[in-house]
Amino acid sequence: MLIYSLLAGLLFGLYFTLIGLGLNLVFGVMRIVNLAHGDFLMLGGFLAFWLFNLFAVNPLPAIPIALFLFMMAGLPLYYLLVPRLLAARDPEMLSIILFFGFSQVIEALTTIAFGTSERSIPGIELGRPVAAVESWFAGRKVAPGPVTLFGQTFPAAWIVSAIVSALAVFLIFLYLYRTRLGYLTRAVMVQREEALSSGINVHRVSAIAFGVGIALAAISGLFAPFMLGSITPAMGVDVTIVSFAVIVIGSLGNPLGTVLGGVLYGISYMLMQSYFSSWANLLPYLLLIAILLVRPSGLLGRQVRRA
Amino acid sequence: MPRLWRHALAIVVPVVGAMAVLPALYGNHLLLFNFVVFMLLAQGVNVIYGFTGYLPFGYVGFFGTGAYGFSLMVVHLATPPLLALVAGGAAAVLLGLLLTPLLRLSGAYFSIANLAAALAVLQVVSNPDLQDITKGPYGIALNGIYQPTLAYGVALAILAATLMTVVYLRNSRFGMALQAIREDPISAGMAGINVVRERVIAWLISALIAGLAGSVFAWYVSVFYPETVFGSEFSIFAIVFALFGGPATVLGPLLGVIILYGIYNTIGITTPQYFQLIYGLLIMVLVLFLPNGLASLLRRWGIDVP
Amino acid sequence: MFQKLVCGLGLASIVALCGAAQAAEAPKEIKFGTLYASAGPFAVISMPVHYGLKLWAEQANAEGGVFVKAFNKKIPVKLVAYDDQSNPATAATLYDQLITQDKVDILITDSGSVLTAPAVPIARNHKMLLIDQTGTGANFFTADNPYIALMSDPVSTIWPKPLADFITHDGPALGIKRVALLYSTNDFTTTQANAVRKFITEAKAGIDIVYDQGVETKTSNYTVLINNIRATNPDAVIELGYDGNDIAFLRNLQDSGTKFKMVFCIYPGLETNVLEKNVGGEGLQYVYTYVPSSEIAYQASFGMNLAQYKAAWDKKYTDGKVEFGFNSVAGYTTGLVLEKALSVADSLDQLALRNAIASLSGNLRTLDGTFAIDEMGAQIGEITPLGQLALDKDKHIKFVTVYPHDVATGKAIYPAP
Repeated sequence: MLIYSLLAGLLFGLYFTLIGLGLNLVFGVMRIVNLAHGDFLMLGGFLAFWLFNLFAVNPLPAIPIALFLFMMAGLPLYYLLVPRLLAARDPEMLSIILFFGFSQVIEALTTIAFGTSERSIPGIELGRPVAAVESWFAGRKVAPGPVTLFGQTFPAAWIVSAIVSALAVFLIFLYLYRTRLGYLTRAVMVQREEALSSGINVHRVSAIAFGVGIALAAISGLFAPFMLGSITPAMGVDVTIVSFAVIVIGSLGNPLGTVLGGVLYGISYMLMQSYFSSWANLLPYLLLIAILLVRPSGLLGRQVRRA
Repeated sequence: MPRLWRHALAIVVPVVGAMAVLPALYGNHLLLFNFVVFMLLAQGVNVIYGFTGYLPFGYVGFFGTGAYGFSLMVVHLATPPLLALVAGGAAAVLLGLLLTPLLRLSGAYFSIANLAAALAVLQVVSNPDLQDITKGPYGIALNGIYQPTLAYGVALAILAATLMTVVYLRNSRFGMALQAIREDPISAGMAGINVVRERVIAWLISALIAGLAGSVFAWYVSVFYPETVFGSEFSIFAIVFALFGGPATVLGPLLGVIILYGIYNTIGITTPQYFQLIYGLLIMVLVLFLPNGLASLLRRWGIDVP
Repeated sequence: MFQKLVCGLGLASIVALCGAAQAAEAPKEIKFGTLYASAGPFAVISMPVHYGLKLWAEQANAEGGVFVKAFNKKIPVKLVAYDDQSNPATAATLYDQLITQDKVDILITDSGSVLTAPAVPIARNHKMLLIDQTGTGANFFTADNPYIALMSDPVSTIWPKPLADFITHDGPALGIKRVALLYSTNDFTTTQANAVRKFITEAKAGIDIVYDQGVETKTSNYTVLINNIRATNPDAVIELGYDGNDIAFLRNLQDSGTKFKMVFCIYPGLETNVLEKNVGGEGLQYVYTYVPSSEIAYQASFGMNLAQYKAAWDKKYTDGKVEFGFNSVAGYTTGLVLEKALSVADSLDQLALRNAIASLSGNLRTLDGTFAIDEMGAQIGEITPLGQLALDKDKHIKFVTVYPHDVATGKAIYPAP
């Protein structure tokens, strides 16, 4: 029971790393509290659902589609919302309210369009690519189904999402630390005014970061029908809170911090489910508050607190 | 006459008077009661956000704690309602004391942590392991103390006290100190303001207001589940109403409640299916085009908003 | 003789005047006030109930209205309905609005306990009878409050009896000794879990509950829990949650490759279409659940029977956005009970209506089963038997009733292959 919980926590936690990655980027670069983050995840989930049902597209090849679509949506959205917001007296606080309103709008439009019922995609869809890889390694045909890791059995979807998450962290890391754009992004993250005065087109860098951020949310949403049971238009709110817990536990701006945060959250959640099941959902909130009070910069970070 | 008393007469008396008279003219008393509750909550948010600069995204935590403090006293100790109200307020203040370390955090961190705290309290209250104390997921059913008229009257009294408090904040050194802390805590500290003490006082006042509002709400509603009194809509609405009207004024949050909550109820009765959409858009437009509230608009036209 | 004529005329005119007065008093419509949730967590259970009630109202009006004995004529029904967006505080003000501003004659709740709760004290205060559609919270029904009556769902303290009886009576013979109980911590499912636990332990049939855990209603991942349950080696697993929980549980079960000998969930019975769409036929095979009235063709002595109702539903609601199932039957049942009550009540006075409804108890058979309420207004009839799901030749889900034996249509397949 213990080993299973630990391994499950690791895999499940990596999924939450994926979810938190986008939020980390947006909050780190723009200091905007994107309360609509969970709703973008929900939109990604619906994208996966409709792509599967209308065009029989498996979620994995849907990743580039989601990336493209949401980046294209993110850029104009940024220019529409953020510059005005940043001109106000208290942008951080107002962003909370603005994006809350935005999350309500997204939720309302989705409910009007699709109704409130739960939707899912059969679990076997993600089992197929895993089975294909397994067959290739084993040299014989392996049927899609649960995967065995260290003697414990897990749904195939968990393995796939963990791999995708690790890949995404790696790519974001490359983006931030090895590309010029990433270099500029990190400059904006550290000190926005100085970046502006040193000639960096802060709005362009931020817009791209915003687009990437919500695209990541949507990509993690592609896996939501498998990891979170089913998708409904109202599912965004709870996911957003947990994502905040994850990025705060890790640290802001550092993708490795999100990995740590996600894994820590996942493992503690699964352990709680095994031993104190009715208190399991209390955990992310307590972790969040504890980290903020004890080490507000997160376990890996260097941000400073006020007063 | 000093400004404080002028404001008190000009605002507190008419508002409380109007809310006292309306039940005779309009039958849906619960709606009027909810108006009073939201006025209280909006002013509570005003104290901690408008004046002091901390956005309490989990403000409903105090509201729910007050409601449960009240209810548990009645259910377990058969306390008379007026005494239980005091207990409810005290419970909220206790929670506020417990959460004062959060005030060390800046901006968004504080809001998220406050939200997490409110959700954590909800989890604790609704957990079946504690159901012998809190009645867990079964909710509360208060029998035998249902007195809507008296509860409404008490709510009005709390409203009067709250409005007087905000009028005081608007016209006193304490209020100015809070606004200084909001703008720049370091400079405020250097100017001799005891930053930590002042903001804790503001925080506890704000908690008390929500706690009393929650207690009187529990008294009026008398049958509810944990999610009802810990619903995030209370925080959101209170914040939006305070923001729309204009933070750091007395009139602002009141205007916000009257206009926005009025619109909310009108939409609810006329075009409900687009409810969420209209309200979401309204909030977005509000933040983008009127971030300092209606009061700032009025001030731009030369009207001094109390 | 002249005196007799005068008396006769006098009497006749008095009678005529009374008749005229009575006819003048009859309202031109009976106002039914209700709420529904078009968005939020309760929309899934609220919209079907509301649609069912609407269908009943339209049909009744198509026939000229409902027969009201108090005025001895048919009067059309007007349905006044507001949207509470799954928000209990909004629901409270709207209930008050219905009573004080719209002055409805009959007050009907929204679906589910959370949205019914605010109405209970309001109705009682205004001395209006609360027609509770599906809110089964035990708190609502107290001996000192006559202003409530539960229409459709059996109250949660007795609802799971067929399940518990199957396990304690048939179970030992099938080899069921160890039971795992997993439930969501909200009023509805926790009350059912308590009832199951009580019935099983009181029966003293040698059944042990080897796993007994509550999880938050928002839980969407059961993989670790399933693993822990498996470690206790249960012969039967009972999972009590809302539809989101059931979907997640059954999917996780499928995906993890675990097989239990018996699995029971509530919502494959109550919202079969939603479950089938999300879990799939293969995942629902051999699962035990409540057999809803939308699957049993009860003999209806009043109102349409199931086949007719389904046909009417399909004809009226063609966009497929609201699912047909147990909850849609519940809304229609509300209308039927009220129609019957109005046809026997002496007046529109709220307590007279309550007595009229109480008089129907045990005698009214609708497509939802036999209507029966106790003296506190809680529904003790319309019990759903225990059934097992199977796949028909088109790979669609069908129900096989397995307990009680007098209504069984087949044998339970145990253990599940």
